[in-house]
Amino acid sequence: MGDKGRGDVLQGTLDMLVLKSLQLGPMHGWGITERLDAGSERVLQVGQGSLYPALYRLERQGFIASEWGVTENNRQARFYRLTSAGRKRLAEERATWARMSRAVDLVLAMGER
Amino acid sequence: MTLRTRIRDAALRIVGVVRSAQVERRLDDEMRFHLDMLTEKYVRAGLAPGEARRHALVEFGGAERFKDQARDEYRSPLADEIAQDVRYSVRVMRRNPGFTSAAALTFALGIGASTAMFSVVNGVLLRPLPYADPDRLVVLWERNVARGNDRNVVAVSAFEAWRERARSFDGMAAAVPLPATIAGSPNPERVTGAEVSPGYFRMLGVRPALGREFTVDEEGGGGANVLVLSDGFWRTRFAGDSAVLGRTLAIDGRAHTIIGVMPPSFDPPQFAWLQEQAFWRPFGPTEGNRGWGRFLLVVARLKDGVAMGAARAEVEAIAARRANGNKANEGWSVTVVGLAEQITGDVRLPLLVLLGAVGLLLLMAITNVANLTLGLVRRQSRELAVRRAIGATSSRLLRQLLTQSLVVAAVGSAIGIGAAALGVGALVELLPPEMPRTSAIGIDARVLAFGVLAAALAAFVVGAVAAFRGGRGVAGAPADGDARTTRRLRGGSLVTAEIALGLVLAVLAGLMVRTFTALRDVDLGFAAEQVVLARVGVSGERYVTPEARRRFFDELIGRVAALPGVEAASAVSTRPFGGMAPATTVGDASAPPSSDSLVADVRFADSGVFRALRVPMLAGETFDARDGLDAPPRVVINETMSKAVWPGVSPIGKRLRILMFNGISPEVIGVVGDVHLMDARTRPRATAYLASSRFPSDARDLVVRSSRGAESIVAAVRSTVASLDPSVPVYQVTTMDGLVGRSLARDRFIAILLGAFAIVSLLLAAVGIYGVFAGDVAQRRKEIGIRVALGAPTAGVVALVIRRAVSRAVLGVALGSVIALGAARAMASLLFGVGAADPLSFGGVAVLLVLVAIGATLVPALRAARVSPLVAIRTD
Repeated sequence: MGDKGRGDVLQGTLDMLVLKSLQLGPMHGWGITERLDAGSERVLQVGQGSLYPALYRLERQGFIASEWGVTENNRQARFYRLTSAGRKRLAEERATWARMSRAVDLVLAMGER
Repeated sequence: MTLRTRIRDAALRIVGVVRSAQVERRLDDEMRFHLDMLTEKYVRAGLAPGEARRHALVEFGGAERFKDQARDEYRSPLADEIAQDVRYSVRVMRRNPGFTSAAALTFALGIGASTAMFSVVNGVLLRPLPYADPDRLVVLWERNVARGNDRNVVAVSAFEAWRERARSFDGMAAAVPLPATIAGSPNPERVTGAEVSPGYFRMLGVRPALGREFTVDEEGGGGANVLVLSDGFWRTRFAGDSAVLGRTLAIDGRAHTIIGVMPPSFDPPQFAWLQEQAFWRPFGPTEGNRGWGRFLLVVARLKDGVAMGAARAEVEAIAARRANGNKANEGWSVTVVGLAEQITGDVRLPLLVLLGAVGLLLLMAITNVANLTLGLVRRQSRELAVRRAIGATSSRLLRQLLTQSLVVAAVGSAIGIGAAALGVGALVELLPPEMPRTSAIGIDARVLAFGVLAAALAAFVVGAVAAFRGGRGVAGAPADGDARTTRRLRGGSLVTAEIALGLVLAVLAGLMVRTFTALRDVDLGFAAEQVVLARVGVSGERYVTPEARRRFFDELIGRVAALPGVEAASAVSTRPFGGMAPATTVGDASAPPSSDSLVADVRFADSGVFRALRVPMLAGETFDARDGLDAPPRVVINETMSKAVWPGVSPIGKRLRILMFNGISPEVIGVVGDVHLMDARTRPRATAYLASSRFPSDARDLVVRSSRGAESIVAAVRSTVASLDPSVPVYQVTTMDGLVGRSLARDRFIAILLGAFAIVSLLLAAVGIYGVFAGDVAQRRKEIGIRVALGAPTAGVVALVIRRAVSRAVLGVALGSVIALGAARAMASLLFGVGAADPLSFGGVAVLLVLVAIGATLVPALRAARVSPLVAIRTD
């Protein structure tokens, strides 16, 4: 349970990042790690141990959907795509994130002016 | 926290076992793809393939751990929680064995009783008749409005007219029972078959298992001498020999060729006087039987697309044309009724009443379990409050309470449905003998669905009550905490409901018991005790002449009367309570025939039958030696006819016109008391007794009054008949008492079942009310203690508790009376000698229910009186 408790915060962020990466278009799990890797200039490295649980969770919640497809290298892979509920969710999470990070910034900047 | 964790871990282990193979495959496939991509990445970065794979695996981490986590997320948490709830419920039940067994048994009782009753209703009323398109089969009757008879048997000429002219039917067949003597050793056998029109079986959509059915040609000459056997008769008489076709069998001394055997599944339509059928021979109209009056039963199949109303209109028009200008057909129209309704119409209401009653019993069972569950929830309330405090949501806790009742209901219902399946055979044994279609009664998919639905409904209601009431504990404050100060009676509405439901059942039972005793106490007009009945039928060449028949029966009656211990012996054409028998219109022979409108039963009696049955001779005398074969006919009439035809004057010496034997006008020589010829319920009609010695019939019911045991009398009668002619069968042997008893079987069955339901419901009510007040007293110990401390007398404390019970009971009585009155009105046609609003039944039962309420409260009330004043100063 301790793992879960610490994961809660990370999970929230991870979910948002996954949703964002899928906003660019349907992608398989590997591709999502690549997108996050590249998009964060290699700062955010998402372990597959967290990624797949997040994908299944998001799918169960109805934010993403998946189906088998073929990669450009002609290989079978499961492709995830954003649902309309997922798009809404992403917008909400972005707004929350913006508010939170601004609040954190403000606190960190206290007395520094 | 530890409790939750433990439950969750346990649940995970259970669910882990049932994870689906599909999920596993998907996890494997995705993991493999990911690993491959990772490996390729390392290869691109310059590693050797083997090395790259190793790096990928290391980076990926433990595959099983990954799968476990992924699986966790993949699975719906709802499934986890349901598994948790079920496990938790099972534990709660194990910790509360008293609650569990009481609740499960009550459920089992309610569900079991209603499932068993429904299986009877299903078999008799709901399952389709075992024929092709049974909904299209109808029965046609002649209808005489003036006689108030809308289902009269049919004349041959009417049947012929309908069959030839009506276009609404795909087929029409006549049937008439054929009781016959079948020669054989050691004893001649009396067997009932039927004559049926060729095409009868085809119309029903059944075909013989062996051989063929009758052809149209075989209708000629009143029916060819060919036979189709029932499976049962074929097996007992011919040991199921398949070489039976072509063999001959003598029926009433006439050789018949066997041409077919019906399959064992064939269940012939049985209604009116068409009952058991061991064999069939063809029926055909003849000059002779066209003059026999009305005696046929007619079944027909509606053409596709023809509505019953249209068919009725068409046949009515045919009947109207026939009646026009024809004296014999005047006033006769037609009734068309569905075959299923014809067969089961009489038992529909009683069965529905019993099903309704058992439904009330189920409601009571549900109420009681709800009550028990509330008690359990109250005991759990502290735990529920704690669980809520550590973060369980209300909906989660409510769902858990619901699961708890579902689990109890599942266990109880399984027991109940199982018991119903086992007990249905015993219930069928209990059914009155005239109940049709008992072979169709059993547990089928529909009965199971009914049981499961009833169980689900019961569980839902109980769960909802528990969740709703238990919700108080769930919503926040521990329920125990505020209980000390509450003035409201917890479960008060349950007490009201139990009293109301118990009252309805007890009132209905009371009405039926009063009906049954009223029927039993009816003065039947004869003394049934110590009378043995046996039917004796002569047939064949030897008895063709009336003189031969007369001589045989005179000799037989004389010998039986002389047997030791026989007080009186005689005979009559049809015994009282013996079913259908001739009836015709009668009138004063000195008035013009057009005024004859009185319908009278006609019996052919030997002279001593009134003495043997102890029917009082009110005026005149019975038959004697003057009533010979060539003598002018004389008649004995009953009191009702005397008053109807000759009001205020003595009928002795007058002449009665009877429309039989082409019209006779016998002299009235005696008046006897009214006898219930049909059953106890039906008021005696006008009855005419003609002398058997003048009109000797070939089959008569011997009436033997003797103080000797019935069995030894029967044996003596059999050997007497055999000594006269060993080929003459003796059958339908019974005591008059037994016959009267069987005629009350339906009323007795309803009374017994409703009575049993009522007793069970009173027990349930008592237990339920006891439970509510025991809980109430336990919760108000402190308040009661204060009262005692302040000097309240013991009687006052007892009264305090009982007053609450009585006020609830009175409310329940009022509510129940309204429902009971409606139910009693609906079953008014089943009642006899008692009104639907019978004040004795209602008043008596109301008092009984209040007493039950007081009785059930007495123990808790006395316990309250023993509360020590010390509890007032103790805090919990």
